[in-house]
Amino acid sequence: MIAAILMVGGIGAVAALILGISSVTFAVKMDPREKAVLDQLPGANCGACGYAGCAAFAQELVRNTDAEMTCPAVKGETLQAISDILGRALGAGAPLKAFVRCKGSPNATQNRFLYVGPQDCMAAQIMQGGSKACQFGCLGLGSCVDVCLFDAISMGEDGLPHVVKEKCTGCGKCVAACPRGIIQLIPIDASFAVGCSSSDSAKDMKQLCSVGCIKCSLCADICPFEAITVSRTSAAIIDQEKCHRCGLCVSVCPTGVIASLEVPAKARIILEKCKGCGICEQICPVNAASGTVKQPYTIDEGRCIGCGLCIEKCPADAIERVSS
Amino acid sequence: MKTFKGGIHPPDMKELVNRVPIVDMPLSAVFTVYVQQHLGAPAKPIVEAGQKVKKGQLLSEPMGFVSVPVHAPTSGTVKAVTKQVHPVTGLLAPCIAIESDGHDEWVQGIPRQQDPFTMSKDALLASIRDCGLVGMGGATFPTHVKLSPPKDKVIDTFIVNGAECEPYLAADHRLMLEDPERILDGIRIALRILDLPHAVFAIEGNKPDAIALMKSKATPEIQVEELKVKYPQGAEKQLIQAITGREVPSGGLPMDVGAIVQNAGTCAAIADACLRGVPLIERITSVTGRGIRTPKNIRVRIGTPLREIIEFCGGLQDPAKVIFGGPMMGIAQYSDQISVMKGTSGILVLTGEDTNISSYAACISCGRCVEACPMGLIPSVLSKMGEKNQWEKAGQFHLLDCVECGSCTYVCPSKRPIVHFIKHLKALQRAASAKSKGA
Repeated sequence: MIAAILMVGGIGAVAALILGISSVTFAVKMDPREKAVLDQLPGANCGACGYAGCAAFAQELVRNTDAEMTCPAVKGETLQAISDILGRALGAGAPLKAFVRCKGSPNATQNRFLYVGPQDCMAAQIMQGGSKACQFGCLGLGSCVDVCLFDAISMGEDGLPHVVKEKCTGCGKCVAACPRGIIQLIPIDASFAVGCSSSDSAKDMKQLCSVGCIKCSLCADICPFEAITVSRTSAAIIDQEKCHRCGLCVSVCPTGVIASLEVPAKARIILEKCKGCGICEQICPVNAASGTVKQPYTIDEGRCIGCGLCIEKCPADAIERVSS
Repeated sequence: MKTFKGGIHPPDMKELVNRVPIVDMPLSAVFTVYVQQHLGAPAKPIVEAGQKVKKGQLLSEPMGFVSVPVHAPTSGTVKAVTKQVHPVTGLLAPCIAIESDGHDEWVQGIPRQQDPFTMSKDALLASIRDCGLVGMGGATFPTHVKLSPPKDKVIDTFIVNGAECEPYLAADHRLMLEDPERILDGIRIALRILDLPHAVFAIEGNKPDAIALMKSKATPEIQVEELKVKYPQGAEKQLIQAITGREVPSGGLPMDVGAIVQNAGTCAAIADACLRGVPLIERITSVTGRGIRTPKNIRVRIGTPLREIIEFCGGLQDPAKVIFGGPMMGIAQYSDQISVMKGTSGILVLTGEDTNISSYAACISCGRCVEACPMGLIPSVLSKMGEKNQWEKAGQFHLLDCVECGSCTYVCPSKRPIVHFIKHLKALQRAASAKSKGA
């Protein structure tokens, strides 16, 4: 009995000694900041930063003082926390979100045949080019939903994927997963985007789909900022850098293919500051501002589209956005 | 009787057409000839709308060695260089529409008399290429490439594939019965090109009349061999295993084990090309299945619209699926705005009773697909990987050795689309390797 206790205890003591020594001699030196940074990163290992997972990116951030914050999910407080750990200010990349450029639900867009194979978009695409008649149409089998590590995409009742802006980090996994290349990354605060990427002619497209872009160019013509380009072989594209979010394009689009993502707050004139110069009246694309010179102007909220042009131009800083 | 390991025994259904003599399909008013009808580098159209063409005139020129041209199926006017749904990819593909003038006149210089046994090998290969020959069993690999093996490969066996193992189809069977001399001429020319003393003509045992006829007609250098009736007996690698006992190594080609296989129909086309300089502008196709009123074997020009062929064969009855090729490896079509290609070995119309459109269930690991796989793969594992997009892992399970014969899908009690999963994995693998090459 005692011999057994001594034997086992002795083995334990020897093993403890060996482990103790090796833990000192073979210790892997790790910068404690790496662990701290890693704790702040989202931990989804999505690879959008360009490194092999969050740990590799944390290591890069700590070891390479020139490394930039390329993780699309880090912003705000988290960004500040990581900057504090590293002791250098990190700039945030322009945050992006995913946008599905198709509004062709099964009711709106024709199918060429009945597909009964594996429920995966890539697998469906190799079968005679996919069952959806429009080659730019969403196949609706949800491969983008499957690859999203942030649970930010779900299939809606309309058979199309919907992106939850709050959850989307703009990692681009879904963009790569879509065999038809219809998912695009756009700035997170983008207000309007065109829900169609068809390069078929309007006539060909219309035979297949009732909601696609017919390339009428009404949106491009009305856009006061020349932010929209459209041609015979390309659906309308909104240049998000030029877009002032006036929403005129949405109001004229005959097929309703332009999506309103974020409706901007409307403008209001601060009466005390207004000098009555009338610039707002001249600049307003929808004639929402009115008044008499040298008297405070007013903006008709019903007409205002929140483009913010007047706010930019007002010399007296007398226009603000109505916080809703 | 010679055969390979694995395989399945589907009902062969050949009685629908195997006793029906070949008939000529009347000329269409308009032919649409796809520019891409072969595996390999694309070809470029060289005719313009409005141009007059004669039968056999070149319509496109090949770009690269592994590429072949297409020819005008009849004389007439080029209506347009346009786009039409391609039966293999299902996408719009360039094609040349030719309005027939009804005269069906040959272009000057075709047909001509030439003696292939005094011509050089290079001249023969050039004839074969210029005539646009591809493997007519369905894979459409350019014939001249197959017949010019690299110098370091020693070829000792030439096999003529008369197995026609796909159920329903009987085009090669009818050709062997009705035009044996043309096939035998083609075999002799191929032997001359390959510098081989003899060939093996392999025919499945369900065609006893063709075997007997070939045995009586064949000269001593052509040995007719009867094969066991089993699918996929006519798949190239399985055929080589059956005849020579050699196994094509993983990732290898038949020439790695010293064998070259040509389809019987291709041999007939070789005879046309080398004896008379006639390009590949027509082929024999079985129009069959219970969904077509009068199944026929037709001699049809390349570019004939599917719609007219169906009409010629009496129209459809309770059609559920139209397939280009056989039921095992053929491709289901969704449009009737397509036309016959060089590789269209059959047009099969299945009825609702013949098809089983249902969803699939989980793999129960019964192992029937493993027994059936003629390539010795584990299809059940590959199909499960297909569900999870694990193409990298599938590579370790010899994904690329799958010949997509469909035996596994045929025997699966869970009705799993195993070949579809494997094609999906192959597509993912291709996309990834294209991406890594581009980066």
